[in-house]
Amino acid sequence: MSASLTLWGTWLQALFTILLVSVVFKDNPAYRFAEHTYVGLFAGYFVALTYFNYLRPNITDRLIKKGEYLLLIPIVIGLLIYTRYIRSIAWLSRYTICFNLGIGCGYVLSKDFKPFFVDQVKATFLLLWGTGNWWKTFSNWIYVVGTVTSLVYFLFTLQKKGVQGRISQIGRVVMMIAFGAAFGNTVMARVSLFLGRMQFLMGTWLKLIKI
Amino acid sequence: MWVKLASIDRRWIYGLMIFVIALALLKPVGLAIIPSADTKKVYDAIDKLPPGTIVWLGMEFSAGGVPELMPAIQAIIRQGFRHDLRFVCGGMWVMAGDMCDQAFSIAKTEFPNKKYGVDWVNIGYKPGNEVLLQRYLTNVGEAALNIDFYLNKLDTLPLMKEFPNLKSAKMLMIFCTGTPGEREYIKHVSGPNNIPLAQSCVSVSVPEIMPLIQAGQILGLLAGMKGAAEYEVLVNKPGSATAGMDAQSFSHGLIVIFMILGNIGYFLTRNKKA
Repeated sequence: MSASLTLWGTWLQALFTILLVSVVFKDNPAYRFAEHTYVGLFAGYFVALTYFNYLRPNITDRLIKKGEYLLLIPIVIGLLIYTRYIRSIAWLSRYTICFNLGIGCGYVLSKDFKPFFVDQVKATFLLLWGTGNWWKTFSNWIYVVGTVTSLVYFLFTLQKKGVQGRISQIGRVVMMIAFGAAFGNTVMARVSLFLGRMQFLMGTWLKLIKI
Repeated sequence: MWVKLASIDRRWIYGLMIFVIALALLKPVGLAIIPSADTKKVYDAIDKLPPGTIVWLGMEFSAGGVPELMPAIQAIIRQGFRHDLRFVCGGMWVMAGDMCDQAFSIAKTEFPNKKYGVDWVNIGYKPGNEVLLQRYLTNVGEAALNIDFYLNKLDTLPLMKEFPNLKSAKMLMIFCTGTPGEREYIKHVSGPNNIPLAQSCVSVSVPEIMPLIQAGQILGLLAGMKGAAEYEVLVNKPGSATAGMDAQSFSHGLIVIFMILGNIGYFLTRNKKA
């Protein structure tokens, strides 16, 4: 990329960063202009990238050159989704949705159960004594008690009274702590995002800092 | 006073935040960065790989993840190239190719002897999400339609002759900001094929990923910009994440102060409102 083009790119980036950040002070037309430009650019970029990296090679290489005509089946099923724009044959679009739903359900049932249910349950089978490390033992207790009490909180068929009520209360506290941790991480992520733009503005653009 | 403070215009808070971040970037104090156990696990796992090993870099993020993830990727590339590791990168996110291109831009100046096609390949984005990963497990060339991000034919690149499918990777290092991300890799690639999986993620995803680490499905994690800064310390090449740590710490301090003041204000004015 030539130096002048890089310079233009840097100034454009800086301008759009400032326009987008301006919304935290007040919603304004400049912000909306930047937002719409971003959305439009991304949509255009996605279409171009998919066309050159996927659609064209699939159609020219596989369908036309190699004669893999079986590809016509998914292409037709995919294109049926657009029939919803023609009222008389709109019902055909349901086949695309049905096909996707069927594949999605099959995939989830066959692939998710072991890693995200069986393995996660197995991961809670922890030693509660005799680990040889008091911190590990303590952590295991926290993990097991936290998991069990949180699950008990979601037993809605029983009234939250007596022992079950008290266990639910512990589960509630455990979840509150987890939500607090999640919120803290969210704040950290947002600050990091803004920090990245500040580093760009003060470093790459204004050259006030060295990165 | 507390009533006034409780109803303070949020723009003052934003302004103060910008001021604190700018000041910390201009005048860093150099707070200590101590690598965590999870970061060290990733570093050690990569360090133990023999020279010539191929590592898959999964670029599962877009421009929004750059501040937190790009420093981590570049630190890993530096570590890998110093150990003569080779990288194949791609992803299920639209900007995967651009992110990889930006990450390897350091190779030109820092590792001039490393060549595209021999030491690293950028397959870029290909549609298909998890179906794509499944197809990568059988034949990368076919799944990627034999073209890389720069529209080169994959079968003309020497590295790809040694990388017929994703199982040829001795380690998976993925960089994620959401879905598709680590869960797709666990259920299709690392889990069924016993390939070690390590991850770098944005801070907001950390609580979701911790159970996967606890279950041993992910061997180590670089958590957000902090994790990236720790990795920069480990590879002994401070970058943008290290530079941002002071600003991040001070901005967090400011947020904590505002939260404490907000809570005090709430409790002191609660009875008056009633």
